[in-house]
Amino acid sequence: MLEAHALTKQYGDRVALHPLTLRVAPGELLCLLGANGAGKTTTINLFLDFVPRSGGRALVDGIDVAEAPLEARRRLAYIPEQVQLYRTLSGIENLDYFQRLSGAAPLDRAALRALLDRVGLPRDAADRRVATYSKGMRQKVGIAIAIAKQARALLLDEPTSGLDPQASNEFSALLDQVAILMATHDLFRARETGPHIAIMKQGRMVDRFAAADVGHADLERLYLDHMRS
Amino acid sequence: MLATIIRKEFTEMWRDGRVRSSAFALLALLAGALLYGRAQTRALAAERHAAAEATRADWLAQPAKNPHSAAHYGIYAFKPRATLATLDDGVDPYAGMLTWLEAHKRNEFAYRPAQDATGAQRAGALTAATTLQLLVPLLIVVLAAGSFAGEREAGTLRQLLALGVPARTLGAGKALGTAAALGVVLVPAATLGVLAIVGLGGDAAHDLPRVAVLVGAYLLYFVAWLGVVLAISARASSSRVALAAALGVWMLTTVLAPRVVTEIARARHPTPSAATFAAAVRADLEQGFDGHAGQAEAMQAFERRVLAQYRVDSVSQLPVSFAGLALEEGERVANLVYDRHHGRLWDGYAAQDRVRAWSALVAPVLAVRALSMGLSGTDVAHHRAFADAAEAYRRRLVGAMNGDMARNAVGVDYDYKATPALWASVGSFVFEAPPLGATLAVHRESLLLLGWWGLLGVLLVAGAAGRVRP
Repeated sequence: MLEAHALTKQYGDRVALHPLTLRVAPGELLCLLGANGAGKTTTINLFLDFVPRSGGRALVDGIDVAEAPLEARRRLAYIPEQVQLYRTLSGIENLDYFQRLSGAAPLDRAALRALLDRVGLPRDAADRRVATYSKGMRQKVGIAIAIAKQARALLLDEPTSGLDPQASNEFSALLDQVAILMATHDLFRARETGPHIAIMKQGRMVDRFAAADVGHADLERLYLDHMRS
Repeated sequence: MLATIIRKEFTEMWRDGRVRSSAFALLALLAGALLYGRAQTRALAAERHAAAEATRADWLAQPAKNPHSAAHYGIYAFKPRATLATLDDGVDPYAGMLTWLEAHKRNEFAYRPAQDATGAQRAGALTAATTLQLLVPLLIVVLAAGSFAGEREAGTLRQLLALGVPARTLGAGKALGTAAALGVVLVPAATLGVLAIVGLGGDAAHDLPRVAVLVGAYLLYFVAWLGVVLAISARASSSRVALAAALGVWMLTTVLAPRVVTEIARARHPTPSAATFAAAVRADLEQGFDGHAGQAEAMQAFERRVLAQYRVDSVSQLPVSFAGLALEEGERVANLVYDRHHGRLWDGYAAQDRVRAWSALVAPVLAVRALSMGLSGTDVAHHRAFADAAEAYRRRLVGAMNGDMARNAVGVDYDYKATPALWASVGSFVFEAPPLGATLAVHRESLLLLGWWGLLGVLLVAGAAGRVRP
């Protein structure tokens, strides 16, 4: 469960996030849709306690992230727009490292390999150094890391960027029974993945609706209307 | 979790070819310095032992002659090469290795290799100590500057922190991982160092406790550097900035600070040049000082005192050789002058050393350098102990000659001849280095400050890691 109650962030006089209230239940996915500077990444940073909040609260499974950041983070998985890995380690070594640090029960080599298979990383790549990976391959390892953590909630920042369509679909299918907050500016991806979509503009949530209620063309029109207003 | 971080940090460093080649180059330098130091110690120890035997044999081989003539014949005192000088030859190349012990004169030390060396040779002398004090911190800079900054730059720090890894655990893991990588260089070097020392046949009971303290001192020094570099890395905006800042700190504190501090110490506590010192000693010998008469005047007064003491009118009536008594008195008066001037000189050096010791507050290399020289038996305090022991031996030897003359040369003075049994009655010169406790007492400020730096290193890692942001 992810909750924000009047969560705000200010940098001096500039308001990066106006009071934001939202709730994402287990099994739900909320897409934060907006242009650059809309407040999507600030929201994610606040849930990770990477930036101190200016007001309100952010809760992960009922834990206030500012009061118990480590506890909150242990219940979260996070996939950034560009997953960064250790270049001198192989894909499986990276997965092993992040998985061991995540607090989940350690997985043996076979289980790690199976996980990389599951996210679609070519078999011959698992033992290669990550320095040779494409962006998409790194994203797949990032997704494997998130899955291995068995987190209760997921924060995704343009997670499918760099993934081929098939991998993106597989990724969507893998995410189940967890509360997911996904920041994206990809309207198509938002509609395809998110049962719930929230449009953000200049630090405010300006609209929220179910993806099933709008067609792709409607979503595009709705989004553009908000951006122009 | 900690073990996982340590293993990963070590693996990453080990797989980085630049780090690996730097580490191996440093290991090769250390091994070279140790082997060269060992060869030097072995050669110098053998040379000095042979020379000491030869000078003793020369002393004993003197034919029957006047004892004062034997006192002028004199003998050399050789400063024994400490086994641990293999690691750090300290002030030995500058302070001299032998002194000529003879009647009337407290001679300066001779055979100072640094005098014959070019500036480049002096500056570039490679010892295990200089490698450990200057180059290991440089390797720490190379290994650790990118620890946090590099991860922040690459974006991996954000992902790590998002996992819920406590930043302090991460900091400790990075510190210990770097320490493990350093261990690849330092453990073989330390093993080689111990083997090099043990193989020289020194006194293990004397050397090993010193080696143990030395290892502890270097560990504190490296912990301090690790803390400083990791703290810089945690604060820096990029790995380049971290590397530049850490290199700047290294340059300032290990290369520039010791030279600047030495100049400040000399300016605050000036010591005379050799020529000025010799001239001042000569002047006091001739003219006296602080109410003490010059030698000529003192001898006239001494003659009056002796005549009064024995209630006679002339020295020819004395039951002892006045020449022998006069020589002894001349030594006593001269020794007052030598004690005064040498005491001031040594006190000046000690005051300079104290300035250097307290300057370790800003440059830890000064603390580890002082301890390294002290524990290796090559610091100023050891040199002073040797100089004092040699001077005490000179006084004993000359006193024995003058005493024999005073007792046995009645009426014949300089025509009296003693037998070689007299030469043998004065035992060989043996120097016992100060005990470990005395060395640690001399360098208590350095010990204290090094302990402070070690603690600061730990606090810096904990503090910097605690505040690290992605």
